[in-house]
Order: sequence, then structure tokens, then C-alpha cells
Amino acid sequence: MSAHLDDVSAGTRFRLDRVPDTDLRARLLRLGFLDGQVTCRHRIRNGPVIISRDGTELAIGRSVAADIEVARVTRA
Amino acid sequence: MSHVPDGEDFDGDAPEELVALVGAPNVGKSVLFNAIADSYVDVSNYPGTTVETTLARAEGFALTDTPGAYGISSFNEEERVTREIVLEADTVINVVDATHLGRDLFLTLQLLDMGIPTVVALNMMDEARADDIDIDVEGLEDALGVPVVPTVAIDGTGVDALEERLPEATAPEDPSIESWFDELPADLAANRREKTLLVEADEATAVQVTDRDRSVADGGVPGFVDPAFREQIYEHRRERVGDIVDRIQSTEERRGSLGERLSDLMLDPLTGTPIALAVLGLVYYVIGDLVAQRLVDFLESVVFAEYYVPFVQGAVESALPAAGWLEPVEYVLINSNLGLLTVTVQYILGVLLPLVVAFYLAIGALEDSGVLPRLAVLTDRGLSRIGLNGRAIVPMIVGVGCVTMAVITTRMVGSRRERLIATGLLGLAIPCSAQLGVILGLLAGLGLVWWFGYLGVLLLVFGLAGVALDRTLPGETQGLVAELPRMRVPRPTNILRKTYNRTKMFLTEAIPLFAATAVVISLMDYAGALDSLKESMAPLTRVVGMPADFAQVLILGLIRRDFAAAGMTDLAITPAQTFVGLVVVTLFVPCILSMVMIVKERNVTTGALMWIGSWVVAFGVGGLLAVVMGL
Repeated sequence: MSAHLDDVSAGTRFRLDRVPDTDLRARLLRLGFLDGQVTCRHRIRNGPVIISRDGTELAIGRSVAADIEVARVTRA
Repeated sequence: MSHVPDGEDFDGDAPEELVALVGAPNVGKSVLFNAIADSYVDVSNYPGTTVETTLARAEGFALTDTPGAYGISSFNEEERVTREIVLEADTVINVVDATHLGRDLFLTLQLLDMGIPTVVALNMMDEARADDIDIDVEGLEDALGVPVVPTVAIDGTGVDALEERLPEATAPEDPSIESWFDELPADLAANRREKTLLVEADEATAVQVTDRDRSVADGGVPGFVDPAFREQIYEHRRERVGDIVDRIQSTEERRGSLGERLSDLMLDPLTGTPIALAVLGLVYYVIGDLVAQRLVDFLESVVFAEYYVPFVQGAVESALPAAGWLEPVEYVLINSNLGLLTVTVQYILGVLLPLVVAFYLAIGALEDSGVLPRLAVLTDRGLSRIGLNGRAIVPMIVGVGCVTMAVITTRMVGSRRERLIATGLLGLAIPCSAQLGVILGLLAGLGLVWWFGYLGVLLLVFGLAGVALDRTLPGETQGLVAELPRMRVPRPTNILRKTYNRTKMFLTEAIPLFAATAVVISLMDYAGALDSLKESMAPLTRVVGMPADFAQVLILGLIRRDFAAAGMTDLAITPAQTFVGLVVVTLFVPCILSMVMIVKERNVTTGALMWIGSWVVAFGVGGLLAVVMGL
């Protein structure tokens, strides 16, 4: 079973592995979020997850995050 | 009217070269724009968007700004506008944030792939230095093959050099993108810019090219290529970006700046909620109290009531001969309900204009400081329960100021479904500041309990109506995906310029609509239609336990919401009746100006449904309260 973006906790690093929505995947790719490790900055209870890569921060709503699979979740 | 700025907009001169400033949001495009521009020519709004672009004259060329975008595509309103301008531009100044090279060079390489002559302004060099980011500018210039000019736009550093090197703008042909061009039909009548977007599966470009050359794709709109190519191309471009950044940038471990720490505080609900409430409280104090109450009161009761209106009435009466057939004309022009030259002008200049300016100033400050997207994050959880996402917080905040304006800002909340929900809630359960002022005054006389009761009922109706709309409307809520720009102190000149542009746009859209409405209502009034309406409403006032005179209040409410609330002050009623009456007038139909805007932004059917729905909800809830409270 793989982890999803709405399961990660603040401070962890991981890769975004599978983004089912084509347009969202293109947007994330463009911003560099699919190039490598991203960090979870905040996770608001039942709310959005905020991830960052190279100082760019992105807020992702809970329902969207639930569809994104992440890999190699390690404690920072 | 042409919405793509082109050289011909300049009074008959030969078409000038068009230079576009292009870059991600919050990289300093506007500040650079102000530094390069000599004089402003035109602010234009793209049809159906809230996105404004400014055209200016500079030395030897026309300069246009563009909405912030991370790439040339059509993922949102801003990008679609930027895409159109980029397709027209002769030269592009690509503004790149030196602290976010890895993010911004994607757009740079995309512009070069499109073959657009480009100069790169490597902006925010001061912040990069402060962050210990070391950039080999010459190395970047070699890697890209175009001029790269380091700038600090806010103090003007590098702006002269940028203008000097503008003629060197070029687009070195990178052959890698061309391998995908083979996938397009060989005889396709499209230039390199369009071809690049076509292989990247940009629908808007496909539609454009198909429209121009019907013979290419017979009937069926677009998809010239397999949509999977976009991903391959983007991946390839990201790899090139990664290579360049590795070669020319070295950086120490980033440490948290003041802005980052503030951002952390705002995003943590424990600290962010009080901060957000304090910010909103301040905004409400300035707009709801200082402007909506004091300034508007002064303008209405002194400037208009004592000077302007009597003067115009006198002037019209003496100018028009006392002929019977002119009576309706005179009535339309100067009647005391909604006279075209009297009360209508008073509404627009005395009420709307100060509110609009104050709101645009506040929204501009919240936008530029980076507070707004963080408010969206904090409210996303609650709003997602009623079929909206965090972005809908903007119309809701604006709505407490002026529902009419808020209806326009629903354009930024996403899909059609979300706009409908937001508009519905605005029209139903959000009292505007003018009305809220009067309501606060009335409830203050009754005691704090009534005020909380009033707020409670409204929030309940808001929540229930949201859930009901979410359940009944087809489709699904779009989740929030929002880039969070750095938090920084906003620049006053930038906010002023935005406010000026937006106010001008609002007035050009609103004035004709309001004038036409005023004429229609006045004619109905003159013909006695409003009076017979009042009589037919008598049964309804009994349902909510109110005296017959309450119908007069409702009639006023049809035109303007705060009039209804103000009309309540003259009724001899009990505290419970006041409470129920105020709930009814709050839930009652949006004011006539809001209705006009709702019909314009949505359509007549939506407007009519909302209007009828407001009657049903207002009297349903009011009737229920009347029963509960034994009225």
C-alpha cells in the first residue's frame, strides 16, 4: 500500500510519485515539484497540505492531496 | 475594441514594436514596468476576466505588462491572457526571480522554444544575495544564449542596462523542440510560437489555428497531437532547467527569513486564525466604519442632500418648460427614489465609489503582501464543506463591503459551479456594509444577545444554503491548488496603480447598467406599479409577524438593502419583531444593483431563481422565527 499526500506529516521529505490528474501533473511538473524531493511544510487538520520545493510553496486541498501518491517518506 | 494591445492603438502612428513583460507572479514585473514606462496609454480588461493589463509608451516601443504565469499555457484566466499577449509580442522581457531560478527558468526556456526574441531581467538580486544564493550571470547568459541583466527593480538597479540591451533580444533556436513538430500536419499554417504550444497540447491555440484554417481539421476541434507529448516536452525542459541551475548557481542552506517565519505563523491555524481575524477586523474597521459609515454618511447627508441634489433639482425644474408631457421625463431625472441625475449619481459617486476604492486598496494590500492566498488556505477546510474552496474567501470578504462588487470577484473562484454557489450565498446571506451599519445600530439598542442571535441565524442559513447548493448542483468541487508567494511589505505605488485601474474598470462597467436600471424603476414608480406591489405584499408581512407598514420596508429593500434596514427604525415594533424583521431584510433579495450585476455575470435564469429563492428563504426563515418567538 502506498502513502498519499494527505497522510504525510509536517517536516517530512518525499517524492510525488503519481498524480492522476493530467493538468495538475503538468502544473506540478512545470514548477519543478516532480523533479525530486519535496518537503511538507504544514498539514492543516482536515485542510490543505502545504509542500515546498526550492523555496516555492504550494497549498494543495485535502481532496486533491488524497489522490496523489508519495514515495520514500522519511523523517527529516 | 481590440483587447490585445498593439501598436495601432497609438493615435495613427506607424505600428510600434510591442515589448511584453512576462514572468511568474510576484517577481517584480509591475515595478519594472513603472521604471521602464514613460507614460501610460491604456488599461484594458480581457472580456470575461478580472485580469487587467496596462499598455504604456516607452522610448521607441510600446510596453505591455502581463498577468503572472509560470508557463505559457491555458491553466487559468491569467495564463490565457498572458498566452495571447506573448503570441502578439515582438520582444519579451522575461522577469526571473533570482531566488527561484529553478522555478522560473522553465518559462524562459519555453519562450525561447517558441522562438520569441527575449531579454532576461534577473530580478531580486538583492534578495538572492541576502539568501546566500550565488549566480554566475555570464554563465547563465551563455547557457541561455540571450542577454541576462541583473536587476533590483525596487531601487532601479539595472533598469538602464536592461533597456540598453533590449535590441540584443534574440531566441537561439534550440532544435530539441523541433523534433516534436514532426507530429503536426506538414501543411499546417502555424508559426513556431503556435507550433510549440500545439505540441504542448494547448487547446486555446488549437482552437485558434483551427478557426483560422478550416481546411486543416474538418470540423472537429483540436488535439493535433497526443496529449502525452506535453508531459514529455515539459520533462525534457525541466531537465534542461536542472542542468543550467546546477552549472551556474551555488547556494548555502537556506535559513528562514522574517517573511518565511511570518508565513509559518499564518499557516498554523492556532496562530493564523487570530492573525487573520485581526487583519479582517482592521479591514472591516477601515472600510465598514470609516468609509462606509462616516465618509459615506457625510457625502450623502451633507454633500448630496444639502448641495448636489437640491441644486440639480432646481436646475432641471427651471430648465424644463412646465409642459404636461414633460412630467415623466422630469420624474425620471429627479425623483427622490432613484432619479437619474439625483439619487443615481448619489449612489454611484457618494456610496459605491468610496466603497469600491477602499475595497480595492485593501484587497490590493492583502494580495501584494501575500496574505490573501494564506487566508484561502486557512478557510479552505470550512469552505470545502459547502462546495467551494479557499479561493472563495475573496468574494465573501468583499461581499461584507458591497455585494455588487463581490459578484464581480466571483470570477476568480474557479469553475462555473463554484461561481454559482458563491453568487447564491452572496445574494442570500451576506449583508453589505451599508446595511450592516444600520442593523448594528438597531441591534445595539436591543442588547448583545440579539446581535449574537442575528449572527447565529445568518451563519446557519449560510451553511445550510451552501450545503444544499453543493448537494443539488451537478458536478464536483474543485480542490484548492495555490502557489503561496513570499510574504513581503506591499509597495504603495503598486497598490495605488491597481486600485486606479480596477476602479476605472468597475465604473465603466457599472455606470451604464445602473443608469438604465434607474430609468426603468422610475418609470414603473411613475406608473404606480410600485404602489400596487406594496398592497399585494400585505399577506406576507403577516407571516413573519410584522405590521402592514413592513411592506414599505420590503419595497425599499427591492431597490437598496440599507434602505430597508433604515426603514425599520421608523416602525413601532417590539425587540423580537425588530430581530425577525432584520433577519428578513438581510435574507431578502439582493439590491437592484447587485441583481443587475448577477444577471450580467451569470444569466437571467440564475438571477430570477436567486431572486425568487431569496423571497422563499427570507419568509420561510422569518416565519419560522416568528412562530418560535410567538409573534
